Amino acid sequence: MSSAYLYSILATATIFTLLALALNIITGYAGQAMMGIAAFFGIGAYTAAIITTNGGNFLLALLAGMLVSGIFGAVLGVISLRLQADFLAITTIGINFVMVALFNRLKITGGTLGLTIKKPVLFGVKMNNTYFFYMTVILIVVLCLLLGKMRRSWFGMALASINNDPGAARSFGINVSRYQILAFTIGTAVAGLAGGVYAHRMGFISSSDFAFVVSIQAVSMVVIGGLGTLRGPIFGALLITSLPEILRFADDYRELVYGLLLVLMVRFMPEGLIGDDSPVWSALMKLWRKFVPKKKTRADLIAESVEGGR
Amino acid sequence: MKKVLALVLTLMMALSLVACGGNGSTGGDAGTAAPSSPSTTTTAPSGGDTSGNSAAPALPETIKIGFFAPVSAAAASADGASAINSAKLAVKLVNENGGINGSKVELVDFDDGLDTTQAANIAEKLAYDDSIAAVVSGSYSGPTKVAAPIFQDAGKLMVSAYAVHPDVTGAGDLIFSQSFPGAVQATGAAVFTAEQLKATKVAIIYVDLDFGTTQVNAFKAKLAKDYPDVHVVFEQGVAISDSDLTSVVTAAAASGADLIYSVNYYEQAAEVLRQVGLQGLNIPVLGTEGADSWMLLDIAGEYANGLYITTNMNRDDQNEQTQAYIKNYREEYGIQPDMVGASVYDAFQVLFEAIKNAGTDSAAMRDYISGMKNFDTVTGTLLYYNAEGSAVKPIQVQLVTNGEYHYAGIVDDAQIIDPANY
Amino acid sequence: MFLQQLINALTIGSLYALTAMGATLIYGILGILDIANAGAYLVGAYLGWYIYYGTGSIVLAFLLSMLAVGLLGILLQRAVYSPILAKPHTLSIIPLVAAVGLFTMSSDAVRLICGPNSKAYNLKFPVETLRVGNVVILPAWLMIFALTAVLLVILWFILNKTKLGLAWRATAGDAEIARVCGVNTDTAMALSYILGYGFAAAAGIMTGILYNSITPALGEVPSYKMLAIIVLGGLGNPMGTVVAGLIIGIAEVFLSVYTAIPIPKDAIAFVVLIIMLLVKPDGIMSRKNKV
Repeated sequence: MSSAYLYSILATATIFTLLALALNIITGYAGQAMMGIAAFFGIGAYTAAIITTNGGNFLLALLAGMLVSGIFGAVLGVISLRLQADFLAITTIGINFVMVALFNRLKITGGTLGLTIKKPVLFGVKMNNTYFFYMTVILIVVLCLLLGKMRRSWFGMALASINNDPGAARSFGINVSRYQILAFTIGTAVAGLAGGVYAHRMGFISSSDFAFVVSIQAVSMVVIGGLGTLRGPIFGALLITSLPEILRFADDYRELVYGLLLVLMVRFMPEGLIGDDSPVWSALMKLWRKFVPKKKTRADLIAESVEGGR
Repeated sequence: MKKVLALVLTLMMALSLVACGGNGSTGGDAGTAAPSSPSTTTTAPSGGDTSGNSAAPALPETIKIGFFAPVSAAAASADGASAINSAKLAVKLVNENGGINGSKVELVDFDDGLDTTQAANIAEKLAYDDSIAAVVSGSYSGPTKVAAPIFQDAGKLMVSAYAVHPDVTGAGDLIFSQSFPGAVQATGAAVFTAEQLKATKVAIIYVDLDFGTTQVNAFKAKLAKDYPDVHVVFEQGVAISDSDLTSVVTAAAASGADLIYSVNYYEQAAEVLRQVGLQGLNIPVLGTEGADSWMLLDIAGEYANGLYITTNMNRDDQNEQTQAYIKNYREEYGIQPDMVGASVYDAFQVLFEAIKNAGTDSAAMRDYISGMKNFDTVTGTLLYYNAEGSAVKPIQVQLVTNGEYHYAGIVDDAQIIDPANY
Repeated sequence: MFLQQLINALTIGSLYALTAMGATLIYGILGILDIANAGAYLVGAYLGWYIYYGTGSIVLAFLLSMLAVGLLGILLQRAVYSPILAKPHTLSIIPLVAAVGLFTMSSDAVRLICGPNSKAYNLKFPVETLRVGNVVILPAWLMIFALTAVLLVILWFILNKTKLGLAWRATAGDAEIARVCGVNTDTAMALSYILGYGFAAAAGIMTGILYNSITPALGEVPSYKMLAIIVLGGLGNPMGTVVAGLIIGIAEVFLSVYTAIPIPKDAIAFVVLIIMLLVKPDGIMSRKNKV
């Protein structure tokens, strides 16, 4: 396997990891059914691409893509307050279709011809897949550190409680609306960032790159890996993006096998392959504990004493 | 913190995996080693560019040609099948006739699933595989457009069979296009509309993709420039996924048009024809190469009769190549070939000819193809390649009579058929 | 032209109602957005084609295809959906991913088994095209109106006049309470799937006849458009679905023909949906007043 091929797969896989993590903030942490993340992936991609094709700086373009996408996301967050569960899901699908229609029609997005984007130069080096891969890995690590921190913060707790029971959260004095909007804003901003990287890695984007199927793919990644965890979406994205290449041995049956795998994975592990309640993850953790005995925290001790008392 | 640590460890493992992968291969690295300017790497060997008249070039025992097409994407699978069938047929026939100067040809084919990220992966794989002599794209605009710069950067020659995006060849000097850019075909259609069909009020129904918009723009531009008496009275784009064209056809007819110009692929064009026929509207329809398929004849049935299309293959051409291709394709697959298949087959003929005369060096092939003149292909005589790498050939106009495509005219005005003029 | 366009709109609207009915019945009981219903629509259309060409009878094609696909629906419900839903805290997007997998499989299986090229029904109608003044009504349209009406009457009868229907309505109202009261909720689920997939198959055949063409991509548009329709209809409300189908049909035709709105039909359905939801967040008919 040539390394060019490998880096090409890896660059795509890591960009979609970023997208899956973005979706996970909205769907996994805040529990809001978002099925149109590709629209924001697209907003970020086109914003960044328009800036660099007009001579703008690559990194600033990525930031701008993030910002614009986040602003649109905040508006959606406000709308989401009015809609419950599946109504929200379908509304987000609708937003996806409307955005694709606009990408395909507006002059600034290149209309039906799309946009051709020159590979950016960063610190004097022309970016290629290898650099895109490393860059995205860095972005993922930074994002994971921030998300890890966030989840243990007041914000994370608030999101978790909204996810569990919005009514109860409200009665505890948590401003549900504010946190929900914030989750949408952060999630869509990260999706926009992923889009900016994607546009420059591909070198050519057109409206169909951000179609509803891409949103569905992102949902699959998060669900297959394990909703609401950090590792789940990462694993899911790496798996789903590399499956088409891994399955090349299946030749003409590739797509069929891909569909079958999706069904089997969800059927037998609906909590995600390495989600919190999945047998695979429990087994892995058990194995890990065998070699690395757990240092007991105070919370664990309390939990144990409660369980022992039952 | 443990979770973060675990994550960092996982990522480091992934990185080390990559590093190991990178150590193995030498020429394949897409990194800094890859030259930015193709002309520096692909300097022709001395004497290699004097195409044809020198002694036969040294060829490897088997010549591998890379190929990709949208085989598994449901929406594109009919075209994908046409493309891969024709690619296999081209390779089979050349091998049956003794190969290229005795060397066997081998097809290395991939399914891109009509997905640009898969196309990028395939392109990286083929581009840095030294055993691959050259590549043919049997895919649509998106995948082809993404793949083209990757091949150009790697110094590998690619011929695009039928992708319509006007900027595919813009990736560089190693990228050639075998198809008409939309503008050429549509300008020919405008001339035919005004001079042969003598229409004065045209209703345009087009697919809202690059295929549709480039042709509509060129069609209107030509009318505005040379035929001010011909007016466009109705114009509506439809999404590629839209199968219901009833209301659009009703509206087009109500506009008082005396011709419907349908810039759609065969399924939608067939539906336009059926609605015109079923609603008893009695308006002639002019189509494009997108309507050049036996499946249109199958779906539209009797309502297909009277349809004019602009395309590249003349079914009545007595040219040996064309008739042999149609016959062989029918024998091999039991169905009629279409425009997509014929274009892919031609892309292979061009490559075979280049390899036969110039060897498998990218620059030598490029120089040979750039200099090709009056080359007989299935889709008519390829006059020459223009400076952008686009094939220049006459536009065929076909008319459906008795459920078959037949010759109805040709547009070969040198000004119109060279894509460089748009 | 207005009258003609209205008839065009009602035709496509009826077809939408028929197409989305299956997904509505399934949502009513299981609460999942079953994209795989579009796979049933595709498989039904192909099965119907083979039966029609094997037997020469279009009636037999409808009946056998609906039955076979309906049974396939029960099989999938038992083997895939119910086990997933049996786990606690299942968000609706989880079975959705399984449905996406099933839909992918159906499209690709059809491509591999039946070939990638389109097939034509070439159905000859016993009636002529109706012409009243400038208005044209095609036999295929009459067939759609008739079929939609007949199927809806059957559906109404099953849901309102049979014991099975009572179980369905009780389960759709509140599955827990229904179970406590001794209603066999399993039967209700099975009914949802056999009717849901059967309806989808009928809609698939109808589409194949209307456009005289079926391809492996036939299910792609319904896979998302039916979601817009069932939501607009109030999620799980069969009567609402009919109204929603007609609204979307009318909106698509009239907005695309009479206004210069620069977006394709697919997006129009969703724009209508979003505006409606912002005005009335429960859909045009809330779940309380179902048939």
